[in-house]
Amino acid sequence: MTTVLSAQGVSVSFGAVRALDGVDLEVQSDQLVGLIGPNGAGKTTFIDAVTGFVPSRGEITLGGRRISGMAPHDRARLRLARTWQTIELFDDLSVRENLSVSSRRSTMVSTVSEVLFGRPPRAEALAEEAMHLLELDEDAERMPNELPQGRRKLVGIARALASKPQLLLMDEPAAGLATNESLELGRILRNVVDSGLPILLVDHDMGLVLGICDYIYVLDFGKIIAQGTAEEIRHNPQVLAAYLGGSTSEAVATAEAAEEAAESEHAAK
Amino acid sequence: MSLNQVLVFLLLGLGSGGLIAGIGMGVVLSYRGAGVINISVGAIAMLAGFCYWALRTGDFGITFAAPWAVTLTLIFAIVLGLFFEGFCVRPLRRASPLAKLVATLGFLLSAQAAVILAFGESARPQPAILPGGTVLLFGGAVQINRFWIFGILLAITLLFAGIFRWTKFGLGTRAAAENEANATLFGLSPNRLSLVNTVAMSLTMGIVGLLAASIQSVDSQTLPLMVVPALAAAMFGSFTSFGITFVAGLLIGMAESLLTYFETFSWFPTSGGPGNPIPGVQELMIFVILVIAMLFRASRIPGRGDIIDRRLPAAPRPKAPMKGAIRWGALAAFAIWALPYGFREGLIYSLIATISLFSLVVITGYVGQLSVVQISLGGVAGFTVSHLFTNFGIAFPWAGIIGVIFAIVIGVISGFPALRVRGVGLVVVTLAATDAIQNFGFGNTTWGAGNTGAAVPSPSIFGFNFGSNATFHGLGGGEPSPLFGWFTLLLTIIIGLLICNLRRSGLGQEMLAVRANERAAAATGINVRNVKLIGFAIASGIAGVSGVLLAYSYGSITADSYGTLVALNFIAFGYIIGITTVPGAVQAAVGVPGGLFAFALLDWFGLQGNWLSFVGGFLLVLTLIHRPGGVALDIFYGPPKKPFKERPLGRMIFRPSPVLANGAAGADVTEGTTAGVSS
Repeated sequence: MTTVLSAQGVSVSFGAVRALDGVDLEVQSDQLVGLIGPNGAGKTTFIDAVTGFVPSRGEITLGGRRISGMAPHDRARLRLARTWQTIELFDDLSVRENLSVSSRRSTMVSTVSEVLFGRPPRAEALAEEAMHLLELDEDAERMPNELPQGRRKLVGIARALASKPQLLLMDEPAAGLATNESLELGRILRNVVDSGLPILLVDHDMGLVLGICDYIYVLDFGKIIAQGTAEEIRHNPQVLAAYLGGSTSEAVATAEAAEEAAESEHAAK
Repeated sequence: MSLNQVLVFLLLGLGSGGLIAGIGMGVVLSYRGAGVINISVGAIAMLAGFCYWALRTGDFGITFAAPWAVTLTLIFAIVLGLFFEGFCVRPLRRASPLAKLVATLGFLLSAQAAVILAFGESARPQPAILPGGTVLLFGGAVQINRFWIFGILLAITLLFAGIFRWTKFGLGTRAAAENEANATLFGLSPNRLSLVNTVAMSLTMGIVGLLAASIQSVDSQTLPLMVVPALAAAMFGSFTSFGITFVAGLLIGMAESLLTYFETFSWFPTSGGPGNPIPGVQELMIFVILVIAMLFRASRIPGRGDIIDRRLPAAPRPKAPMKGAIRWGALAAFAIWALPYGFREGLIYSLIATISLFSLVVITGYVGQLSVVQISLGGVAGFTVSHLFTNFGIAFPWAGIIGVIFAIVIGVISGFPALRVRGVGLVVVTLAATDAIQNFGFGNTTWGAGNTGAAVPSPSIFGFNFGSNATFHGLGGGEPSPLFGWFTLLLTIIIGLLICNLRRSGLGQEMLAVRANERAAAATGINVRNVKLIGFAIASGIAGVSGVLLAYSYGSITADSYGTLVALNFIAFGYIIGITTVPGAVQAAVGVPGGLFAFALLDWFGLQGNWLSFVGGFLLVLTLIHRPGGVALDIFYGPPKKPFKERPLGRMIFRPSPVLANGAAGADVTEGTTAGVSS
């Protein structure tokens, strides 16, 4: 395994508020890494810092290349993709266009060819593949606002996949989904990772994170307070005290239910 | 230069500074009370000023004494405020800030046109309501009315500042601006608060209109365009502070007065010979002040917690553009040949306006930046053509090409503010830029036209003249020649098709991605800055082509050909029909003042173009309320589709992914089953 993302001592401050304080985190290839923490712990800020949307201190490398200080679009061009908690689709573009805008870059030559001679933009195999992968083919020509929330989330994920990322950062993809939808999403993410794309997953859904992640970091007040496998996190007293609090048993039960569901489907297969 | 004289001119500036501050207060009241950046506040003051003039001079048939005229004028201002609230503000409460601003533009255009239709274009010397006389200060005579204006507006400022700080009404207005939904839960009525604030704004503008009577004539342009420096003052006050806005407005007025003093010195730059100070320096100063205010204060403008829809009208992919181009192009080509010369002139103007509106389709429809400066960029190209010929003997086609390149350069420079400000902020900056370019650039005899006009040679190639004065006159006879009309039509069709192709191209998709969501666009690897600047370059080039054609069309150009009011009219008609699509631009251009429809109204019914502006302003507001995407969007692309029926994610299929897989085996899931979850 090689290290795809390495964040060392990442700190972010908003005025006097220290949102992230020296966070160290790594994502290895073929790994689904979870980042959990209570509200306001700094999870989204961490994704924003890695993708360049908030200024940060510390060292961030992607595939061994230092990306600290780069503009967000430059990081994206190094195949660092992200999804958003609030989905953030391009509402003026169809689903297909949402994906194709992510999968290719216009060049001077391609623009001149398309504008002067009216040639349509090249159909991108990556965009088509991502659309096919998430069963969005029949929605390809629809506008995002014509789709329900769940499918809009899928378009957001497909758009990120269409850029053929070397790492995908996902910000609460299960937010707003029903339990069965969340479980289904978890299986999809697991399979995406198994197909070779590492993911850093931020989510509140403990069942989802503990159920599918290979390795988990726990963030609280901007600091990493624990890390390890799901089993280690589940029984980490610091996590139980600081994060899970009174709802420990409920969270653990949800996680176990997710595992049981997965195992029973294995057996059925 | 003596210090005493400087102080005298600073004191003289209290008059115009007070008016700017007063109009600035109207801007602040509109923003705090209703969330509207209201560019029609000066027009409301103008309406009040004309009302007072008409009441005092007997224009309505009865001559009123000053106290009665003042009272009736203030009642008129209140009624105007009620109408403004009911027509422009309340129906658009949920609209985007940009739509609200454009609605006030509609009101401005209608108000101006109404005044011209009712009272004519000439300035009316008003009966003053403030005491006359002068006082000797610093060795110079200063009119007493300057101090009255200062004192009255200072009192109004303190009154509003106190009301907003210490009364329940002020607290309620602030709460509703912060979070409308929560304010409603606590029993506040945002509608009522908005109504009271709008009426207060209108009443204040009524007072400003009355006070203006003492220091200047009333006309259809001065007070409405005083909104530009007033916006700069309000920007310094972050659209919320009455005190800072008042002080900034005063200082701007005093600086303008000081510039008037400086113009008397030999070292002041001249234009057109000694003794002719370079025009437009005051407008240029206001533009610079506004840019500074925007750069340093825009981030402090509090966002409002209104419940609003922030989307711009949709920009759908063109359907069969070539088919439409052939059909409508053939019809237009025939009309150019067959129509009588007046109609032909109107049609050619509409074709040139079409190209102008194409530039708005690119910059507003595709990139999402509403820029008022596009028409002025056309002027930059037009004046370049004129001066290249006059000064260097360069004619068609090189003069036109250089003019377009020059427009692109200026356009890209004007696009830099858009990297920092967007939406309503960009409208305000580009409005000031348009005013500055018209006065400082086009009004200048060195690189503009001065007060007379600049000659433009007829376009010809290899000795073949195809300009508007060519000898071929077609079936309808007279000038402009159909040859020039066909040339314009050809360029219109080519540019229209290129814009359709741009929408479908990868670059067009990136523009729409930027328009929809800049953060998400950057996250997908789009360089937002470059896309915006490319958009400005393309739009400026297109605007340059229209400017060059307009110059060739008339054979002589003036500053007014590309002025602020032309720009505002184009934006209004673009918005009414559809500013995001090529068919929308074509239809809007038929309706603009000076175009084919305007000539038909004049020829058939004797109606002047101002009737079109008058009706157009109201139509603009109605369009924003009932057809936010413009009329053409529904006609050509149909109503928006209904939401797709929800399907559960459980039926999702996961297929092998040879393309996405980074060397690893694809997933192994087929329909109805999923791979195991490993943990």
